[in-house]
This record gives sequence, C-alpha cells and structure tokens, in this order.
Amino acid sequence: MRDLTGYLAGAAALLALFALGFAWLAERRRSAALRLQLDAMNAELEHLQRACSRLAPDGVVQRLIDAGGGAGGGNPMVPERKVATALFADLVGYTALSERLEPAVLARVLNGYLQRMSDAIHEHRGHVSTFLGDGVLAYFGALRADPWQCADAVAAAVAMRAAIADYNRELAKEGLPPVGIGVGIHRGPGLAGLIGSRERTEFGFVGSTVNIAARVQGLTRVHAVDILVTDDVRAELQDAFVLEPMPAEHVKGISEPILTWAVRERSSLARAAAA
Amino acid sequence: MGHALADVVWEDCVLEPRRDRALEAFARRTQGVPNPAIGYFASAPWLARAMVELHPEYGLLQRLDPAIADLVTLIVSQENSCRFCYSAVRALLWAKGMSRERIDRIEQDLARGDLPPRTRATIDFGRTQSRSGPPAAHDACAALRAAGVDDEELKEIAYAVAITDFSNRASTIPAIPTRPLERMPEQWHMRLLRPLIGRMLNSRRRMGGPVALELAPEPPYAHLIQAYRGSPIAPALARTLDGMWASGHLTRRCKLLMLAVIARGLSCEGCAGELATALADEGLEGAALDRILTHLDGPELEPLERLLVPFARETIWYEPARIQRRARGLREQMQEAQLVEAIGVGALGNGLCRMGAIVGCAT
Repeated sequence: MRDLTGYLAGAAALLALFALGFAWLAERRRSAALRLQLDAMNAELEHLQRACSRLAPDGVVQRLIDAGGGAGGGNPMVPERKVATALFADLVGYTALSERLEPAVLARVLNGYLQRMSDAIHEHRGHVSTFLGDGVLAYFGALRADPWQCADAVAAAVAMRAAIADYNRELAKEGLPPVGIGVGIHRGPGLAGLIGSRERTEFGFVGSTVNIAARVQGLTRVHAVDILVTDDVRAELQDAFVLEPMPAEHVKGISEPILTWAVRERSSLARAAAA
Repeated sequence: MGHALADVVWEDCVLEPRRDRALEAFARRTQGVPNPAIGYFASAPWLARAMVELHPEYGLLQRLDPAIADLVTLIVSQENSCRFCYSAVRALLWAKGMSRERIDRIEQDLARGDLPPRTRATIDFGRTQSRSGPPAAHDACAALRAAGVDDEELKEIAYAVAITDFSNRASTIPAIPTRPLERMPEQWHMRLLRPLIGRMLNSRRRMGGPVALELAPEPPYAHLIQAYRGSPIAPALARTLDGMWASGHLTRRCKLLMLAVIARGLSCEGCAGELATALADEGLEGAALDRILTHLDGPELEPLERLLVPFARETIWYEPARIQRRARGLREQMQEAQLVEAIGVGALGNGLCRMGAIVGCAT
C-alpha cells in the first residue's frame, strides 16, 4: 500500500513537472511571438516617425510619441511663452504665374521654390511651420532657445535671395519666367507649442509677432525691396548686416506706423567670417 | 549590426589616430581593456585622458547604480545621434555577457510605462536634458525629486548625462569610426575573447568613495567643482580643466571665448558670469565682448578665434553629418592638434553648462 502511494506521488510529481515544462515552453513561445510582434510594431513606428517628420518640425513628433506613452519631455500640447523670430516669405507674381503656366508645370515650379526656401531656412536653424499656398511661415528660436535667432533669420532670408537667383537661372534654361520673393521678419513674444483641434494640430507660434511679420512682408511690395526687418530685429542685428531705413508705414491691424529696414547684404565683417 | 542609429549618416573620420603608449597604458589601467579610440585624441592628451577619466563607471559614482548610468549613456547617446557612443555602450553590454537580443529588449523596455519611478524619472531626465538643455532643468529636477531622488544622487545623474553629452560631441564631431564597435559581436575572435573581456571590464568597474579636493578650485567653473566637493567627480573635473587650460594648441582667450559662446547659447548664467570675468582678465570686456558674443565675430578676434567662435555655437545643437563636414572644413584651415583641442573645448563646454544648470537646482 505504501509502495502504491509512493508510486502515485512520484507519478503525480512527474506529471506536475511535465505540466510545468509544457506551460513554460508555451509561455516561451508566446513571449517569442509577442517579441516578434513588438519588433514589427517598432519598425512600423520608426517608419511612421520618418514619414511624420515631413509634416512637423524635428523633435515634435518624438515629443508627441513620448507624451502619449507617458514618458518625459513635458506635455507638448501645453504651449510655452517664448521670444521667437517669425519669417514670412511670399512668392512675388504668383497669381500672374498661375495664369500663364499649366497646373502641372506650376506645381513643379512651386515645389522647386518651396524646397529651396525650406533648405535655406533649415540650414540657418529655423523650422518651417507651414506652407500657405506660395507663402512660407518659419520660426527661429521657437523650438529651442536661440540667442542668435534674429541673425539666423536674416541670414536665412539672404540665403533665400541667393537660392531664388540660382533657381531663376534654372527656370530660364527651361524657358520659364523668373520668380521673386518678398520676406518680412519680426521678433517678439508669443506662445510656442502644438496648436489645433483634437483632430488636427500643428506646431505654431501664437501672438502678434506672426501677424506683424506677415504685414511687413506685405510692405516689401510698397517699398519695392525683397527683405524687410522690423526695428526690433534691427536692434538685435547691430552691424551684422547692411540695412537701409524705409519710411514708416501704417499697416492693417496695427495702430502705430511700422518702421522697417531693407536688408542689403551681410556686412563686410560678417562676409569675411562666413568665407 | 542593425540598431536604432544604423541610419544616422556618419562621415569619414576627420582625424588620424596616432599611437601614444602612455595614454594607452592609462586607458588600459583605468578601464581594464585597451581603448583604440583614444589614439584619435592623442594630439590633445588632456582630452584623451578626459574621455577615459570622466567616464562615470570607474570610481566616480557613489550613489547612482552603474546599471542606471549605462542606461543614461545609452539613451542620451541615442538622443544626440552619437553612433559611436551608442555602439560603445552596446558593445560594453555585450562584452559583459548580454546577448544582442537582450540589449534590444532593454532598449525597448525603456519606453515602458511600468518602469520603477526612479528609473523612469532618470531616463526622462536624460532625454529632456539632451533635447531642451538647461531651460528644462527646473522641471527635470522637480520630476526627479518627486520620484524620491535626493540632491546627491541628482547631481550624479546630472553628471552622467552631462558627461555623455561631452563624449557624444567629442566622438561625433570628428566622426570617430563606429564600424569596429558595431562589428564586434560578429567577429569570431571577439566572441571567443568575450568572457575574458567581460571579466576585465568588470574588474575595473567600481563605486567611488569620498575624496577631498586638494586645492580650492579656480574660476571659471569653480562653482561647479565646488558643488561636487567630497565626491570623486570634483577632482576628476578639476584635473580635466587644469589639463585643458595648460594645453597650448589654442590660446586661453580662444578657449574662453568658445566656452562663453556655449554658455550664452545654453543660457547658463553661472558659467557665463565666471567666463566674462576671465575674459576681462584677457582684455575683452563690456561692449566688445557683448558684440563678439552677439555676432560671433568682431574686429578684436584673431584669425583662429574667428573660425572657432562660430564653430562653438554649432556644437550646441547639431546634426552629425553636418557638423562632421564643418569639422572637415576647419581641418583644412588649422593644424590637427588645434582642431582636436577645439573639439574638446566645445564638447567640455557643453557638458559643463548642462551640468551647471542641474547643479544650480540641487544646491
């Protein structure tokens, strides 16, 4: 009787061991399958991140992902008070161009222009916030504190001017009409962060700074110049660029007339340093 | 080896490695294994020594768990897109016995929401400091304190993050080759030697004990060294700074100007104040200094300074390939030793300013 109990206990222990072994193997298989799924999801996430980086400035996508996952980086939905520089650029003669060119050709010309403008902005540490048809809105110092934001913005505008000159040579070879730009730059306080509805948000800088930059861009036509900066920007630039004062003008929505300065070129000192 | 930074564009190395037996022996003594990368910095020995001596794992930490320090290095290197340092940490973990799959899993787990609060807060801190720098310091400190981290540990976390920021820049700017580290687990002889390498590495890895500063630190950065007094970090930082000032490839004024640019770019007021006083002793002050720091240029600058002052600004936030091309451009305009020293000054300035912001919160 004692033998039988011993056998039964032994068999039960063996069975329990087998069961545990099977359970362990099954768990291992399940965890390997989950790991594979996780790897695939990670790969997909990286792919999505790369795709999204074309729609939002560097770092914003990652901050959004982190906030969603409970990781740090602060809540990117809460805008922060910052002083930033807004650059507003517009294609001169776009309406006339759109009447003369086939839509496909027009789209190609427009894409070429927007790419060159984005490159010049990115090269000088700015980020393009949005394209408004043929307009480009970019910020300097909105994502990260940048004490050199005004010089960066004006250097970007000067690079945009050079890029347009190059682009016009390319267009001329194809028998296409030349394009021109008007750029307005202003520096001031605002709220920087993701702005929008639950369905659609974008990184923006909210405040009168952006409106003033847009109005100053409009003044480029009044003064027949391509780059205009406000007095606030000029104060930061000191003698880094050759600037020419323009007569003060009233603009829509601003009570006081705006004093602007046309940017001619980099000062000789700055040119020597850049060289 | 496929990893998170495999797509980061990495240019050809700007520097030529050269053998320096004294430096090699120093690295072997400190780390337990040879450090082939040290040869790239041999023309500025203070930088080569700093790359070894400032590493937190070899007796500089008293409170922070070295495993967490490894994670900090991994995450900050990933944030800074430093393929070299990232591969180095992965190679280190592999040599210590972890499989590549296990390392991948650790990285994936860093994104999990159920990590212990202190680990979570430390990782978040490393991320935010690398992304936003000192302006985010106050919130980052508050988050660490809320997770139960005290001031002494907070300073060690700040040190681990800042020194990774330093080594990331020192390795990324000259584009130190990453392939040898990335290929390590694929090489049969390395696989064979792995247990031995792991043992040698572990034999040198240790926690530090209290160490007194022999001399009162001299400004600039005295406030930072004072903040770490009692910790082995303080004399290590002091030795590095002494070595940097003593090295003659760049003038003291040129180094101070580079450091002042970085302090301004990172809004580190403590560092900026000390640097302005030191620059006044060099004959640059008031409006002239302000103009130089505003325009990153000025008629008072020497030719080498005119190259390196704007370069210092570029070391604050950068894309690897772009700054590597910039370094190559500079290489054509100065001697290699000058470039190595400039890279070291830029890297150290970034590390110290980032450390300074947190130390300000903790003291």
